[in-house]
Amino acid sequence: MSARYGMVIDLDRCTGCGSCMMACASENNVPPLPQATARTGLTPMLVRKASNGMDGAARREVFIPIMCMHCEHDTPCVKVCPQQAVEVDKATGIVMQMPQRCLGCRYCMTACPYHARYFNWWDPAWPAGMEKSLNPGVAARMRGVVEKCNMCHARLHSAKEKAAAAGKREIDPADYVPACVEACPTGAIRFGNLADPNDAASQESRSPEAFRLLARIGTEPKVYYKSKEAWVRALAESKSGSGSETKRSEVQHG
Amino acid sequence: MASATLTDSRWIARGEERTSLSRFLLWLAPWTVLLALGVYAAGLCLYFGLNQTNLDNRFAFGLWIFLDLGVIALGAGAFFTGFLVYILKRAELRPILNTAVVVGFICYSGAVGILGIDVGQPLRFWFTFWHPNTHSMLTEVTFCITCYLLVLCLEYIPILLRNRQLRKVPSMLVFEHQLHKLVPVLAGVGTLLSFFHQGSLGGLYGVLRGRPFAFRQGLFIWPSTFFLFILSAIATGPSFLMLVTATVEKVTGRRLVPQEVFRRLAFISGVLLAIYVAAKSIDTLIWLNVTSPSVGFAPWQYYMYKPFGTPILFVEIVLLGLVPAFLLTYRKTAMRRGWLLTAAGLACAGVLLNRFVLTVQTLAVPTLPFDEFLQYAPSWQEVASFGGVTAYGVIVYSLSYRYLPMFASPKGENTHVSGD
Amino acid sequence: MFPGIDGFHWTAAHVIFLSLFFAVVMTIVATVVSAVRRTARDFQTKRAIDFCWKADFAELPEPERRCRHELAGRVMSRTCDNAFDCRQCSKYSQFAVLPARGTVHSLGLDYPEDRFYHRGHTWVKLEEGGILTVGLDALAEHVIGQADSIKMPAIGSDIEINETAWRMKKNGNEIRVRAPIEGKVVGIGGPTDGWYLKISPRLSAQNPALLRHLLRGPEVYGWVSRELERLQVELREPNTPPSLADGGVLMPGLMDAVPEADWDSVLAETFLEV
Repeated sequence: MSARYGMVIDLDRCTGCGSCMMACASENNVPPLPQATARTGLTPMLVRKASNGMDGAARREVFIPIMCMHCEHDTPCVKVCPQQAVEVDKATGIVMQMPQRCLGCRYCMTACPYHARYFNWWDPAWPAGMEKSLNPGVAARMRGVVEKCNMCHARLHSAKEKAAAAGKREIDPADYVPACVEACPTGAIRFGNLADPNDAASQESRSPEAFRLLARIGTEPKVYYKSKEAWVRALAESKSGSGSETKRSEVQHG
Repeated sequence: MASATLTDSRWIARGEERTSLSRFLLWLAPWTVLLALGVYAAGLCLYFGLNQTNLDNRFAFGLWIFLDLGVIALGAGAFFTGFLVYILKRAELRPILNTAVVVGFICYSGAVGILGIDVGQPLRFWFTFWHPNTHSMLTEVTFCITCYLLVLCLEYIPILLRNRQLRKVPSMLVFEHQLHKLVPVLAGVGTLLSFFHQGSLGGLYGVLRGRPFAFRQGLFIWPSTFFLFILSAIATGPSFLMLVTATVEKVTGRRLVPQEVFRRLAFISGVLLAIYVAAKSIDTLIWLNVTSPSVGFAPWQYYMYKPFGTPILFVEIVLLGLVPAFLLTYRKTAMRRGWLLTAAGLACAGVLLNRFVLTVQTLAVPTLPFDEFLQYAPSWQEVASFGGVTAYGVIVYSLSYRYLPMFASPKGENTHVSGD
Repeated sequence: MFPGIDGFHWTAAHVIFLSLFFAVVMTIVATVVSAVRRTARDFQTKRAIDFCWKADFAELPEPERRCRHELAGRVMSRTCDNAFDCRQCSKYSQFAVLPARGTVHSLGLDYPEDRFYHRGHTWVKLEEGGILTVGLDALAEHVIGQADSIKMPAIGSDIEINETAWRMKKNGNEIRVRAPIEGKVVGIGGPTDGWYLKISPRLSAQNPALLRHLLRGPEVYGWVSRELERLQVELREPNTPPSLADGGVLMPGLMDAVPEADWDSVLAETFLEV
């Protein structure tokens, strides 16, 4: 049975601590890149901040972890890549980036509505000694290719190996948990198989508090957000789509 | 060489007057410096990587892609003139044909050169041919541009071989003759290829579902920008040829092409531009009222950021579209050289603005509700690389003008009648 | 087709797209291959020489493409449209019977009446046994003077009409002398007895077409006097009117006497090369 891995992120629980970003970088051998700016760094997982646009006591803010949404329908990046460096894994629903096939044309980056793709502007480099902490299961990406969240594919791989060693076809869900999910101190990220109606993440994704960013574009993202706050849920759509006031244009960058 | 002064007169076609070699070299000198700077900047980008640019993860495409699209649109004169002369048998445009080929060659080779720097892993260019994703517009663009550049090279060869010294070699002269006989085939192939890649360049942005500012609906697999790009390219290609020829006439102080050719080009350009403006207006209305709202984006929102307000729509469609279309076709203005060239300039500026809006504004306009309008300014390396391409173009054109029969004189015309 | 690509899968789109692409590529390649093959074929069938000659002829300025009958004064004005090959001219016999009205006067150059002249400034003399001798005419010898080097063809080689028969170097200019006649080279004159070729013609000596395309009699005077005029115009100092309008005597070794002239151009028009 093919899975559809996805996530539900409870924004009410997110404190913006950035543990998920750290865990992601460490799991996926993302180089530290001290020379990078907010717009040139490698952040497959990025916690951003949004507000309701009000001032003073009425102001509310929310942290929104942004990552590849693993769009299911008409996946924008898959469609545009000229050399099949991006594919949707039919068995898992994960949008796979293959840096070894990537030309570095960055067309996929312009195609992604979530800006969840990152280009390796520099050669990867780690300070002396830090290479000892590298994850042997993940290949570092070279300069000039695009990368993004692949739902910690190395972890899926080892879960599969473990299952195979035990003579099983299916992996134990407990064996495959992405690094960000594992690292979140408040347990805000729930990961699971959305195709399994009994899965906790799957059930949460169907709750009335759940929403997806830019769902109206029609790409069927598999990362859901959840909040009790109506104004947060209104962020699902573009500024104009969420209501009449457009004052939210002065939002900040996380 | 017998004479003491350095001269290249034996390389210049007999009976043609050209400025002295020293003046010519003086003219080339600043362009050579610019080219060297461009090569240096491109070298930096290739050696140290694209961190030399001001591109970033959000502005993944910038000046280079804008200019590639612009230059390829302006270079459309090459295929379109070839199409008119060889397929539609409009012999009166023959005097402009060689210049069209050279301009097209410069535009396309320059664009391909810039693309070679723009990608992160240039040595992997062949991957697209080896495991293509046929659903990607960029695949089609890559295939067609590569093939078309090959076609342009082959169309350039006969012009090159007609150089006075090269044609002394019998095999070159005969090969030129035989290749020239087959040029209609190349013109046909070139038309097919150009048609598709000009369109696909438009499709490149039109298919971006994730960028509602650029996303368009269309026919079958092609978004409306596919057709609009073809139209705008063939409308402005002849205008750009007029501008180039007029500039060369100004620099050399010579009348190279009969005024009749200019008027013919202007009329073709004007009529196509008018059709384009109509199509573009309809497309814009559909986009504003149907396409964009259907994906949750109120269109006016795109235009709330200075200086990218609604005036840009007006400038693009009316000032740089409708106005030149009128000037190019209206008899009284089309008869006046000054008006004609102004109109051609406006038309070219219009197509460049269109490419700018689609490439740069698309990336600047936010998609996520909590995102902001982005700014980007190219680094000197980006500007210099483009300056290098411009210099390359000027140098290639100058050399071609000096040493090759670019504008078929009445005598040259005879040559071809009896040569064919 | 696509080895080593893990996970590459064929789709209908691939088939359509790639067949289109390869059809286009094959068309382009076929065009080039065809041009190359046709070029090679032209050289094998010797048509290349004829073609080059015609192309060079077309490049000549109008005053140099005058019909021989105009030069002889048989017709008022006529531009040659057969690349000086009267054997292919349908009008030749029609004009040839007309009386020549050209004035024959001394040019100060020796153009013996018993020879036939080619527009590339070579003469042909019929020898005994049907052998033809080919040499440079007086004007050419006056212009070039002593050549720096000469490269004659090998004995036994075949020469086509209007092909480069031999090459000479003078003051850095390469001069290619056109063959006035086609045939086999049977003898070569050396530096002591003047440079010439002995050619056994392909056509028999009795064939009237053998020498028909070459100038003779009054045509020669019309032609040479025009050539002298052209030389004067081309060799004059810039911005001065032509001198020697009365047809003064051409000085020998002109290339050495006037080294600053645009000899590349002058020689090109003299020897009908481009």
